[in-house]
Amino acid sequence: MRVSRLRIIFPVGLFLALFLDGSLSNVFAAHLFKYPYSSVLHLVLLWIIFAVFLDDRNDLSIGIWSAFAGLVFDWYYTGILGVYMVALPLVVYLSRQIKPWLDLNFLTMLMVYIINLTIVEAFVYIWYLIGKVMTSNLADFAVYTLGPTIAVNLALFVILYYPVRQLYLKVS
Amino acid sequence: MQKFFSNRKLVIVIIVLIISFGLMSVSVAVRNKKSTPPLLQQFGNDVAGAVDRVIAWPVNGLQGASNSVSDLLNTYQENQKLKKQVDQLAQAKVNAQTATAENKQLRKELKLNNSLTAYTAVTANVLTRTPSSWMNQLVISKGATAGIKKNMPVMSQSGLIGRVVEVNQTNSKVELISSTSSSADKFAIQVTNKAGSTVNGIVTGYDKSTNLIEMGSVTSKTKIKKGDKVVTSGLGGVTPKGLYVGTVAKVKQDDYGLASEVEITPAANLTDLTVVTVAVQ
Repeated sequence: MRVSRLRIIFPVGLFLALFLDGSLSNVFAAHLFKYPYSSVLHLVLLWIIFAVFLDDRNDLSIGIWSAFAGLVFDWYYTGILGVYMVALPLVVYLSRQIKPWLDLNFLTMLMVYIINLTIVEAFVYIWYLIGKVMTSNLADFAVYTLGPTIAVNLALFVILYYPVRQLYLKVS
Repeated sequence: MQKFFSNRKLVIVIIVLIISFGLMSVSVAVRNKKSTPPLLQQFGNDVAGAVDRVIAWPVNGLQGASNSVSDLLNTYQENQKLKKQVDQLAQAKVNAQTATAENKQLRKELKLNNSLTAYTAVTANVLTRTPSSWMNQLVISKGATAGIKKNMPVMSQSGLIGRVVEVNQTNSKVELISSTSSSADKFAIQVTNKAGSTVNGIVTGYDKSTNLIEMGSVTSKTKIKKGDKVVTSGLGGVTPKGLYVGTVAKVKQDDYGLASEVEITPAANLTDLTVVTVAVQ
């Protein structure tokens, strides 16, 4: 009974995060995409990382759900298939690999989140670069995209960490 | 390390990466075709759009509310400024109405049915913006059922903002004019100076640091000054004539010193979009 509630809350929250990413990007476009900086919201990734580290029983099929969310992201937002669809499950896999080695607390999760943000952004950057979707050099990417993106998402992480943790403690 | 790169896992990783890369290459290759996206993807996007509407509605509502408050604070100054304009506007409106009526009559006499300027406006809400630094795309709430087709121009209330790049049944994607992707095909525009002579050209780029549209390779000797109006020229067939783009900011020599480059201040604000209009021909 208690398990099944989280099984519903997780996918609903995942898609809520997915669409909020786009809506908030539009509303705050003037601030988020102020030249030359562009900070990308990653609420989906945040929700996935929370689920991987806060769900102790590992009974959510996070990998499959994140692949599905990535597919919807690719279809609905970018129109270019196979990028987020692979990037998100990749992050889930890597996080699961390092989870047993970590002493879980606020700071270690913050570090893991920074690493995962970097992996996803770098993966997307490299893939789009090879696929000639856009042109940009590595220095510009690191300074103007990756930096602001990490800053904005860390702020969101700090704000959302305790509420989401409470949610997981209460429900599971 | 053994755990990460055992033989079987390495093979799986490589296969997944190859599949991912293949999917991306295929979707980039077919992106500009008329038949894209395929029906299944359209269906998926329509479902996603329907869900997104529910989530975008309260968020956009909040944005509307905050805009209203800031509007209210500026009301007095704005009212003063607008009062001055209203008197002139009535005159201009009557003039325009007469000209339109005359134009219609003359066109009928010439049996000229489809002119370059004729289009119907389809208004759509902006649902969301792609959360990515590599794409300046919007998803709007009208699609093929409202008559929208690929490559149609999209305007905000004040001017041109981009073109439709993907059409589903009930929503479509718009690529903004500020997009620097190499595959973005460009608008045919013309500058009309005070003397009434025109210079034709195409949008060749967008300068993100100054927020100016660039019109390069202009070899015409016609004098263009700051403040001259820029509209779409209707050449090329897809875009109707006379959509407002902006005003000339400055004219300078290009990097090789052979032709000049006109820099244009766009009329529309590309970062504050809630309602857009698609020009359907």
